[in-house]
Amino acid sequence: MTRPSTVATLRRIGLGGITGSPVAFAVVLVLMALLLAVPFAHNGYVETTFRYILMYATMAYGWNMIGGYTGYVSFGQVAFFGIGAYCSAVLSTMKIDNLFADVALACVVAAAFAILIGLAVLQLKGHYFAIATLGVGLAVTDIVSNLDALGGTGGMNISQVDEAHFSVYYYAMWLVALGAILATYFIARSKLGYAFVAIRENEEAAAVLGINPRRYKIAAWAISATMAGAAGAVFAAANGHLEPSIAFSPDSNIFPIVMALLGGIGTVAGPFIGAVILAGVNELLQRYFVNVHTLFFGAVIVLVVLLLPRGLVWLFGLRGGARAWLKSLTVNKA
Amino acid sequence: MSAPAATEVALRIENIGMRFGGLWALSEVSFEVQRGSVVGLIGPNGSGKTTLMNVISGVYKPTTGEVTYAGKRIADVPTHEVCHLGIARTFQVVKPFASLTVRENVAVGAMYGRSGGKRSTRASFERAQELLEIVGLSRVADRPASDLTIPDRKRLEVAKALALDPDVLLLDEVMAGLNATEVDEALELLRDVNRRGVTLIVVEHLMKAIVSISTTIVVLAEGKKIAQGAPVAVLASPQVIEAYLGSRWVKRQEALKQIEAEREHAARVQPPDARP
Repeated sequence: MTRPSTVATLRRIGLGGITGSPVAFAVVLVLMALLLAVPFAHNGYVETTFRYILMYATMAYGWNMIGGYTGYVSFGQVAFFGIGAYCSAVLSTMKIDNLFADVALACVVAAAFAILIGLAVLQLKGHYFAIATLGVGLAVTDIVSNLDALGGTGGMNISQVDEAHFSVYYYAMWLVALGAILATYFIARSKLGYAFVAIRENEEAAAVLGINPRRYKIAAWAISATMAGAAGAVFAAANGHLEPSIAFSPDSNIFPIVMALLGGIGTVAGPFIGAVILAGVNELLQRYFVNVHTLFFGAVIVLVVLLLPRGLVWLFGLRGGARAWLKSLTVNKA
Repeated sequence: MSAPAATEVALRIENIGMRFGGLWALSEVSFEVQRGSVVGLIGPNGSGKTTLMNVISGVYKPTTGEVTYAGKRIADVPTHEVCHLGIARTFQVVKPFASLTVRENVAVGAMYGRSGGKRSTRASFERAQELLEIVGLSRVADRPASDLTIPDRKRLEVAKALALDPDVLLLDEVMAGLNATEVDEALELLRDVNRRGVTLIVVEHLMKAIVSISTTIVVLAEGKKIAQGAPVAVLASPQVIEAYLGSRWVKRQEALKQIEAEREHAARVQPPDARP
């Protein structure tokens, strides 16, 4: 068996272990490089579609940090996305129209909000945490809807660059997505990543090994909020208009979770692969079956949980083909 | 680590009582653990050994009394800080991180234990590899922890605890389920750990193992300390025998002794040469 040396080699370049399949990660980097070419198609529709894919991918990475690596399933990530989006809108009213400023402010505010909320919410576990985060998402939506300073339900307008330079939003989203991918990669191979996974596997045992669960859970949530907030900031700037129903839409809450599940939670490649496949297919369905495309999402959730509980990325590392896959299903059921 | 003076008290256990509902699982348990010693903690099933381990390691806050280590009350220290004081433990019901590899499991301890702050990720993995070789798990280092057999999981628990660089190591039945050769190996390992200056508190059912390794034995029965001292003396004490084998056994032994004495007496009165 050459396995130990293979593992050692992979570890030297920082893959294997909790970073997941190196092949899948290579696929992600290649796809990201290809996506740089999208604006050269000079097709507004295509560019927008791929900008959304990158946006959802970033949010899926955000969800993956708390839900995938740390094992705390959050249904409130849209709150951070919306907060990030409103950061852009507020800066625009102050005549600051700079994407770097938008993203920077969004990251800081979203992370600060996550830390504040996390101090309370992360005392909860399992279903209770999930329900509480759902509540946080709804509460933030209602609060923003009732704040006149943020335009209430009518929303706010954000000044945009002229049409000729519109691709700047695409590249900004690409950079944000790349940031999320690389951050996940470097965190997953660091001490921090192991603290998150240890908490996911057994919080009590993690504490016995010297990990302060509360501190690291809050850190994971703040990082996940940063990613969602950054995506929100670029989204708002590109959208030009923002109102609560757009900033806090249920789609922005659920899509990233399903994408992370499909690709493989707790891996570096999973969220991106899940986002590309799901957003792509969803876009096609939306064009041809406008009324039933949401049904498709329900079906995907059910099928993924039943047939591919560890996500697509896991298949990259699977040896033994279909038989091994079927065997794993029966093992999981037992 | 140099061997410290034998008289130094590492751990002070004072008047510990632990109540669960209406049941006192421990009451008025006091003893001191000398630095560098090996304390064997024994007692029948349900006598409170694991509860005491949980109190010493800060998992339970005692109802009465206190455990102090290096002048600090353990009850005041959060669970994740206990190992930073220098106290590590294994769990009787093992708790591996199932989806991580065996090496990663140990490396997490090396990353966040007492010396973890000074260790890089790479150094933590190197330390984990050393420990896996010491406990005999290097052959399965890259397998997920969920694949391990029970004896290997026990070894993993020991490796994880050692990765915390403890001064005091609490071992809760790490030899259960091991065969005779493996027990000898485990004892050799523990002696080696102790020689490096680590104080050990060992809970074990295997009498032979505990007698051979302990410098002091503390016996618990029904939540109370009934004996303490050198292994051989403690095991000969009638109270300990009674706790393990029951009062009827002790009575029978006394009765047997009496019969024996009467026979001897009779033999003296009626010399053997009277027989044909």
